Amino acid sequence: MSLDLSSIQKDFPCLILNPKKRERGATAYRLQLPELPWGREFAWAELLLPRGFPEHETASIILSPDAVLRVPHVEITGALCIEGDPGPGQGHTAEERIHLLLLAYHDQFLQPWLAGKLDEDFSKESLNYWTIAVSQKRSNRDPVCAVWTVDECPNQPNVMEGLLLLPGRLVVANNGKQAITNRVIQSLGSKAKQRIRVLVADIPISHTFTPSTWPSNNADFERLLNGRLSKPQREQFRRPPRLHGRGVHRIVLLRNLMCGFAYLLPGGPPTIVEYGAQKRSFPSLSKPLPLSVTRVDPSWTVGRDQHPVVTQRLSQHVLVFGAGALGSPVVDHLAKAGIGFITLVDPENMETTNIGRHLLGAESLDRPKAEAVAERVNLGHPATLVTAKKMSAERWLRENSLTNFDLILDMTGESDVRWYLDQARLQHSCPLLIGWMEPYVAAAHVCMLPAGATWMQGFTDPMKNLQAITWPDEVIQLEPGCSSRFQSYTAAAAAHAIALVAEQSLKLLEHSVIESQIISWVRGQRYLDEHWEGLKLREWALKAQSQDGIIIERLFP
Amino acid sequence: MAITKNATLVLNAESGRRIQLTEALSTITKDLSLEDISDNLRAYGPWVRELNYVNQHITVPEEDIDAAAAAYTDVAKHLIRELGWSDELIEVIPQGSARTQTLIRSPGRDKFDIDAVCQVDISHVDVVNPVGFFNKIGDGLQRYSATAKKRCWNINYAGKPFYLEFTPSVPLETVPEDTLASMAPKYLPSKEYLSTALAVVDSPTEKWKTSNPAGFSSWVNDTAQRQLIQYLLMKADSFLEAAGITPVPDQDIEITDTLRLSIRLFKRHRDMCIHRSIIDKEYKPISVIIVTLLTACYAGLADLDRSYTHPMQLLADLAELLPGMVDVIDGEYHVDNPTVPGENFAERWNGDGGKRHDAFQIWCDTLAGDIRIILAINDEQEIRREVRRIFGCNHETVSPSGPGGSGLTPKTRRPPPAVPKTSGLA
Repeated sequence: MSLDLSSIQKDFPCLILNPKKRERGATAYRLQLPELPWGREFAWAELLLPRGFPEHETASIILSPDAVLRVPHVEITGALCIEGDPGPGQGHTAEERIHLLLLAYHDQFLQPWLAGKLDEDFSKESLNYWTIAVSQKRSNRDPVCAVWTVDECPNQPNVMEGLLLLPGRLVVANNGKQAITNRVIQSLGSKAKQRIRVLVADIPISHTFTPSTWPSNNADFERLLNGRLSKPQREQFRRPPRLHGRGVHRIVLLRNLMCGFAYLLPGGPPTIVEYGAQKRSFPSLSKPLPLSVTRVDPSWTVGRDQHPVVTQRLSQHVLVFGAGALGSPVVDHLAKAGIGFITLVDPENMETTNIGRHLLGAESLDRPKAEAVAERVNLGHPATLVTAKKMSAERWLRENSLTNFDLILDMTGESDVRWYLDQARLQHSCPLLIGWMEPYVAAAHVCMLPAGATWMQGFTDPMKNLQAITWPDEVIQLEPGCSSRFQSYTAAAAAHAIALVAEQSLKLLEHSVIESQIISWVRGQRYLDEHWEGLKLREWALKAQSQDGIIIERLFP
Repeated sequence: MAITKNATLVLNAESGRRIQLTEALSTITKDLSLEDISDNLRAYGPWVRELNYVNQHITVPEEDIDAAAAAYTDVAKHLIRELGWSDELIEVIPQGSARTQTLIRSPGRDKFDIDAVCQVDISHVDVVNPVGFFNKIGDGLQRYSATAKKRCWNINYAGKPFYLEFTPSVPLETVPEDTLASMAPKYLPSKEYLSTALAVVDSPTEKWKTSNPAGFSSWVNDTAQRQLIQYLLMKADSFLEAAGITPVPDQDIEITDTLRLSIRLFKRHRDMCIHRSIIDKEYKPISVIIVTLLTACYAGLADLDRSYTHPMQLLADLAELLPGMVDVIDGEYHVDNPTVPGENFAERWNGDGGKRHDAFQIWCDTLAGDIRIILAINDEQEIRREVRRIFGCNHETVSPSGPGGSGLTPKTRRPPPAVPKTSGLA
């Protein structure tokens, strides 16, 4: 690489043309600093040209380590986050790119920094700086690495118990939310072999912390705890009961809806660290240890705090019949949406023919579908508790009542089940959603029946009449079919139907439906022709003919 | 001579004081003859310099004040047009901290508020009732998307560092007899401040309520004029010069204006306590309580003929006596509005299970503790670091011209043009 830096130096007198070697073959040039006023000093700045510049790499500005967490927009490596070098592929020469970078350093950083225009920038990305603070203090002897919260931020300070999970070194601040905590622990698997009780002071904050306002020493915590905890809370937190003669880890959790900060306070039990077969004990810390905070509460994991309906969903209970190609992914969607309780009923085991279009895969072969789906969804979505029942819908309905359910989903496609459901709903009224797919998923339907409305029309099951296509006998519609000839479809084609059922289920849970409705996904003629010769859409579905697929809403007849 | 209410409160506060900051101060000057004015001034120099720096740092930039003033003038003009009332009948004037020179810059990205009263002579306009009047003003502010609060309309300006709070009001002397009669009896105006008394609308009760922002400001400003420093003839400049500070001619508040300086510094300290989560924002001591308690304390000290040899001593005493200035009557906390008898600024303290009072105590303890820390330091650099850390003034700034004089400024301002990559065959 041959660079004409002397011409750049004419424009930028701060550039000192005395190259220095840096790690991984990089070259650095110091940038002379002006006189920096009190509080704005840092030792040095340099232009870093990594090996591979200008062909593959970009140039950057590095500030001295003392700038980290004192000067905003500086990463843990000292790299300055500015839009400078546009990189290769933008039509600039290497010299022009350095010129642009130095100009940005001056205009976007140095001048505004000296003029006080960047002073509030720490609060704009406070969690990034907190991540740096946590990383700086991290060591493999730390008794705790991170705090996970399972509930929303409290309105008032609170002292609660948490669980330190080993060997993951994670603390779950459970705040009495035992059910979700247990499911989170289950999800962590081998990271949570051992559980140790810890004490957590959970304190809401109104403003995000910045490096100049976050507490950093024992005196800061003394003040903060004194100010924010009531006297009984202080007593409880300062002198926790000893556990088996050992001290208890104490954690201060400071959070609001937007951000969370946590510290492990000194005074806990010693930390045992395993080095191969050997174990070493390290005494408690002398200073508070910053910890990252991760939210696993449903408002965040499900709705990123933008869907207040999640709170309502958490208490809702949905009964699902059928854990097949439609039912199993719908259960997964409901869990992703934050439905608190799902009871899943299915009598069958997982077979190889299911793999291509089921939520489960080969790992679940020969296992009861309902159980395997429940296990999988419970592991992935701690906000939801899926309870599996390996039995037929008829048996379940014989042995249980529909009280306490907010919605029933029938995903079996079986007329017997629909009849039994009508009978059971006469005893306990409950909204019902029946979802099914036509062969090849040429159409899919969701019938929403409010509490009190029945499916059967006299002694007639209306399903065939509601379909979009009159199917020739050769196309086997019902399972069990003739095994190898059972009509096939792709998971991608079924995804339309799954989305339709999941979305309408959530709508039904949120807004009760007054009139019975049927919503259909109907594919166009080209799709039909690709799958079976001579298929025709019924009249009501003809509007889909020229399209790839459309959704049609109708009143249930 | 009968002892005044404020003097009594000060005496009570003195008897109940938990710490003695002035002891720390006496150690600073113990080797000096207190009669030697210049020694005294030099001894306090480092603290004066730093508190003066903080005072400058928390001053709202003039351009922001100008922008806020322009905004409320604009709103006032718009209101006059919208309401169709005669110019002479409507007047918009600032109130609160903007009027007592105690407006300060908030830490972080919080906005500062400009309070203004929109004063209407209702004897000449058609106003049916208080709520009707309040809503009419609100209708006039529709263009600004104003939102109703308890007694005012809030106008938020996106991208501006301030928001406006417009309080619809009427001069009390223009309020008809029957309207006066309908006012809540506990909020009748004080005779002493009758000329500036207003009636504002209390939305929750849908009644008129007496308010007196101008009287309150006069009380603060008049009290601040009372001299508690021994060297009465000494000008503010002398204190600053002795501390090695070049006096800033247009600086509003100097160290010798100790009441207003303490209001500004203590409010900033309160804000920092909130940002550090030492006190909960919801239960913070509101500014009007801080101003009332400090002004009452200052007035009480003056009533008792107390004098101080240096503003630092007075500032420390004010911090120390502050928590004791809250009156307790029949087990209820009182911070009375001196211009509206019966109005207790601390009314909410008596219905929250002690949360606001506890937060106030915690803040006072933290403030006194911080002042104690500052005064215990001898090293000048350390004083600087600690004072600026406590008040959240972490960086000095340079003049807008920047480091141009260093010869390090880029010689060209023009970035090179981006040359699109082509095959050369275009």
